[in-house]
Amino acid sequence: MTVRLSHLLLAALVFITAAHADDRKMCTAPASECEKAIRQLSSGRRYLGAEIKELEPGIIIKAVIDDGPASRADLRPGDRLMSVNGHSTVEANIKDFKQILYSAKVTGVLWVIVLRQGILKKVDVRLEPYTKAQIDKMVAQHLAQAHGITNATAAAPQQ
Amino acid sequence: MVRDFLAKWKLSPRSDDRPDHVSSILVPFLIVTLALGVLVWRSYVLSERTERGVDTLAMQYAGYAAQISASRIDAAVGSEQSRASEEWQKVERRSPSSVELQKWIHDNDWIISALYVPDADPANAIYASELPRTAHTGARLTHDLYSSSGIVRYTYDPALLLARVQPALAHQPLVQAQGFKQEVQVAVIENPSTAGAVKAANGYAFIAPLNAPLSSYAVRGFVETGYGTSGWESARLISIMLSAFALLLLGLGAYLAMRGLAHEADTMKLRGALVANVSHELRTPLSMIRLGAETLKRGARLPEKQRHEIEDSILREVLHLSHLVENVLDVARMQNSSAKALAFTPVYPRDLLTSLVATYESWIRSRGFDVKLHLADAIDEQSWDRDAVSRAVLNLIDNAIKYSGDENKVIDVVLRQTEQSVIIEVSDRGIGIDAGDLAHIFEPYYRAQFSDTQTRRGAGLGLTLVQQIIASHGGTIEVESKPGSGSTFRLLFPRPQSHTTTSLAQLTPQTL
Repeated sequence: MTVRLSHLLLAALVFITAAHADDRKMCTAPASECEKAIRQLSSGRRYLGAEIKELEPGIIIKAVIDDGPASRADLRPGDRLMSVNGHSTVEANIKDFKQILYSAKVTGVLWVIVLRQGILKKVDVRLEPYTKAQIDKMVAQHLAQAHGITNATAAAPQQ
Repeated sequence: MVRDFLAKWKLSPRSDDRPDHVSSILVPFLIVTLALGVLVWRSYVLSERTERGVDTLAMQYAGYAAQISASRIDAAVGSEQSRASEEWQKVERRSPSSVELQKWIHDNDWIISALYVPDADPANAIYASELPRTAHTGARLTHDLYSSSGIVRYTYDPALLLARVQPALAHQPLVQAQGFKQEVQVAVIENPSTAGAVKAANGYAFIAPLNAPLSSYAVRGFVETGYGTSGWESARLISIMLSAFALLLLGLGAYLAMRGLAHEADTMKLRGALVANVSHELRTPLSMIRLGAETLKRGARLPEKQRHEIEDSILREVLHLSHLVENVLDVARMQNSSAKALAFTPVYPRDLLTSLVATYESWIRSRGFDVKLHLADAIDEQSWDRDAVSRAVLNLIDNAIKYSGDENKVIDVVLRQTEQSVIIEVSDRGIGIDAGDLAHIFEPYYRAQFSDTQTRRGAGLGLTLVQQIIASHGGTIEVESKPGSGSTFRLLFPRPQSHTTTSLAQLTPQTL
């Protein structure tokens, strides 16, 4: 019984990998188009650089990206978000937070009050656009995954 | 009042009757025109009001339809986007992968490409696209979808999204009757030049812009009003046309009525003249006869000469009276049945004239006139009514005597013939006829306006009778006249066509 189950799991794994292998060529558009589209989509858009986790109730910082806007503003993992841009987030969920984040995309500023180790701390986060390195990595990853081009520089804009 | 006013416009006594007729027609004509004008104006106002009402209704309905459709489309677009976002959230809770993203794009066919950037590692993004192989020229919009663990940014084609929500454009018809359906035509248009109510050539349109993100699109509701705003169907033009047509009809009617009435009035006036004339004409000889008879009865011892004079005058007056009565009777008879009263017999014109003049010579001489006959020879027998033609010629001679001056008391009677006609001319050297009277002399009871008309006796029937007699013979009458030097009346009788016999002779062998 257990053997069968493990066999099934193995078969599923094989299938998934095979599907992944198939998907490598799934992007029908030319690589240059894709690269252009990715750069267009990601350029100038600001990001927070932190992962949020939902508490019951409330929201908490789960992880902070190195060298991101959140880490620069001294947000730390485990900080509980009490208020963002004047909205109370004591009982908010991720959706509410994303809503606030969405509405702040124009100004690019979050005024956050966090609860850290029992102390309320005021943190001003300035949302930043993706760095060039990040975008390049996005492009390289897509080209590798969907177009099978591993060398990112090979698909560089000269095409 | 109007009559008084119109009376002021009468210019001369001669045209007395005309303005009377004109006013009697013109006043009702003006009244009817006024009434018609009021009606036309009223109908114009009403139709314009109705048109305005229909316009307002159409405009409002177009506006409602456009705005409702626009908000429906906005809602449909919003719900489509949130549906897509919900779908992605579900996917994201499992493991977001390139395959899943691709599938998500594929399911929502209006999304062209999407980039998923997880919060945990922005560099570790997934991109998927269904970019068409050919370069797309249409507008592209991007949308940020903040999911619980990252951001999805997708590009989409608004036209495709609109096509997807197209069913939201369903609408209710404005009017739905048997065989007739008035409905609003709703369509989505791109880059509207204007917003709000727009007056189109044949209806009303309302353009309601969509909200973001499709704010470059708008819904255009259009209601056809069923009539044009220009051309034949416009109320203004219809009214003008109708009134012009009605006025034309009115004018025509008025003209006809005026003509008929004027004729009638002329006849009536002449009848009145007849009563005055004839009664005078009849009364004068009658009183002469009565006077003569009374004198004869009373005065037994009158001198022989005076008695003769009285007897002569009685005889003359009786003759005149009988002549007058016969004229009146003849005219009446001819007017009633012209041809039946005549008896056509073979007549030699020469004989006719000779015997006529012989019969009346003494009477003519008694008036101091001399008749000169100029009769052409060899004039064929004609088929005439002997009595009637005699009466005609006699009437002309009588006229010549009546309207001659005291000097040249000569009457010429000429008989000649041309190829077409036998002509009898009666000429005098008298006072002639005024050009203004010349046109009227054949009208019954017409008498020329002389300063001394009353001294010349007559009922104004002589020439009418002559003309009727000639007309019933198929002939015509001509007048030449110069005031002061006399008039010539020319009777033209048609000659029987001599070549008919020859043509008959020619025809006979062929027809046999």
